[in-house]
Amino acid sequence: MLGIIEALINGVLMGSIYGLTAVGLTMIFGVMKVINFAHGSILMVGMFATYWFIKLTGLNPYLAIPVVVPLLYYFGYYLQSWVIRPIFEAEKDVREPITVIIVTTGIWYVLDNLSLLFFGAEYRVIKTSVTGKIFEFYDMYFLLPKIIGAGITVLCALYLYWFLKHSKMGKAIRATSLDREAASLMGIKQSKIYNIAFGMGCACCGMAACVLVPFYYVYPTVGVPFDIKAFIIVVLGGLGSIPGAIIGGIIVGIIENVGAQFMAATWTELLLYGVFLFVLLVKPSGLFGMKQDF
Amino acid sequence: MKQLLNQKPIILLISALLIGALLILPLVVTNPSLMQIFILIILYAYFTSTWNFVGGFAGVLPLGHSAFIGIGAYTSTVLFQTYGISPWFGMLVGGLLAALVGIIIGLPTLKLRGAYFALATIAVGEGLRVLVENVKEVGPFKLNGPSGISLPLTESAFMNFQFDSKAPYYYIILIMLLIVLLLTYFMMNSKVGYYLAAGGEEPEAAEALGIKVARYKLIAMLVSCFLAALGGTFYAQLMLYIYPKSILGLDLSFEIAFIALIGGRGTILGPVLGALLLRPVSDLTRIYLGSSLPGLHLVIFGLVLIVVMRYYPKGLVEPVKQLLERFIHKPARDKANNQSNPSSRQE
Repeated sequence: MLGIIEALINGVLMGSIYGLTAVGLTMIFGVMKVINFAHGSILMVGMFATYWFIKLTGLNPYLAIPVVVPLLYYFGYYLQSWVIRPIFEAEKDVREPITVIIVTTGIWYVLDNLSLLFFGAEYRVIKTSVTGKIFEFYDMYFLLPKIIGAGITVLCALYLYWFLKHSKMGKAIRATSLDREAASLMGIKQSKIYNIAFGMGCACCGMAACVLVPFYYVYPTVGVPFDIKAFIIVVLGGLGSIPGAIIGGIIVGIIENVGAQFMAATWTELLLYGVFLFVLLVKPSGLFGMKQDF
Repeated sequence: MKQLLNQKPIILLISALLIGALLILPLVVTNPSLMQIFILIILYAYFTSTWNFVGGFAGVLPLGHSAFIGIGAYTSTVLFQTYGISPWFGMLVGGLLAALVGIIIGLPTLKLRGAYFALATIAVGEGLRVLVENVKEVGPFKLNGPSGISLPLTESAFMNFQFDSKAPYYYIILIMLLIVLLLTYFMMNSKVGYYLAAGGEEPEAAEALGIKVARYKLIAMLVSCFLAALGGTFYAQLMLYIYPKSILGLDLSFEIAFIALIGGRGTILGPVLGALLLRPVSDLTRIYLGSSLPGLHLVIFGLVLIVVMRYYPKGLVEPVKQLLERFIHKPARDKANNQSNPSSRQE
């Protein structure tokens, strides 16, 4: 019984980090109606940036946040404005922008394989001041960096939610996601909003990367499992919904960790695909999705 | 058929010459590894052409096509391995099985927005790979999990679908490709093709005109999955060794989608052009740089894709067509000029 509670809590911890990557994905989709298939690769870029920052400076791992998060924001900002925007604009009037989706997969392949060329395929771990520290609670053991990571993630998601609800820029972003034409009639510059939304989506990845590196391996294709999980989460929570992404992330984390108590870890992966297909077939708008988005 | 023969004589002549050259190629090329590269180009053109039925004409983005290829490969292989059933028969069984799976996936997802369809197909493709990697055997059939299946070697015979030389493989896949291209041609010029084109561009408008868009998309999906599985059997017989990472999963699915988009989706020759351009890149970088620079061919694929989508969003078939047309029309125009000049002089 204790084991299951332990797995449950571990699932919530890991799930909230999955949730943060999914928040980035869902934000980009909400505004641009484009699924960013390169999302996991951007997480990988963030993880390598964090890895090298810690390795070269030897500072506390969480001090990487003020460096890596803005870095990823501008990386996303310029990726959108230089690579994706021209293609997106050519396809602006198409209901289902396929070309943009496939271009993001192109970016995925370029980033993953470039990092394979530069850094090689080996798994890297970095020893930081929190790595391997255990937090004990009623005979249950949790990794300290996981707890810190989940805490930072939740704060980050709450801030993002507040930002979108109350700040001026947040309102502009929401207006664009609801109705592009009406928003630009109100004087909101669309291309700028797309850049910012993409940048913020990538910054979420940067944040997730910073909290992952102290307890996770870094390797060139590390993004792929996170990518696939983020897809599952956004469909589960509803494409375009931020609370949906966090709750979806926690559900995925719980399924993965509790499932591993009863079956081999590779089977839990299959369980996730099953849940994903089930949700797609039964309620494609997910838990919190808007009807107009599917 | 009439439509087909109604093309300009010069186009018919060029295609006849091209097909003739393709037919005698194995007589000229005797190096088996070079032959293998040609076979793989044609095989990928075939895979991409089957992808094209859904990805090109139905206006959605399937990213799990390897699932159907894998179903074809595994079905014929386990039937041959366990019961000694000819792969030709197993090919049909695999095709029907893949079509069935295609319907089960397509029925709910083809009604959704393109993004959902892309995600669902990724989940099916990856899910199937994880499933096969986890399963050692299903009933009497041995799948061997991630290590895959080596096909039992038999004597070179048509019914065994195993040959000593590469030439028979070459002719089989060439005929399969020609059949698929003909099917594509007829579909494009049929009612189904027009309905699909209408449904892909403006689903609401098409629905309003009484076209059951989802039903025609489902037909396209069915044909596509069936044909993809046949290609999967061919792959298994050519390589004589299949394992989940090679024939299921993301890499193959994405490679097919990349070839289609770079070549030009929704056109007959786009997939062929794409395979012709990209397959050699992947083979040559793998042969010459594979050990020192792993993954380089995928960087090239990705960059080519981004650049092509930026400047030719309809694929490279567009500029090639323009070039050809200029080439074909130029003599005709010169002739017309020559004819008009003497007549003016007479007056």
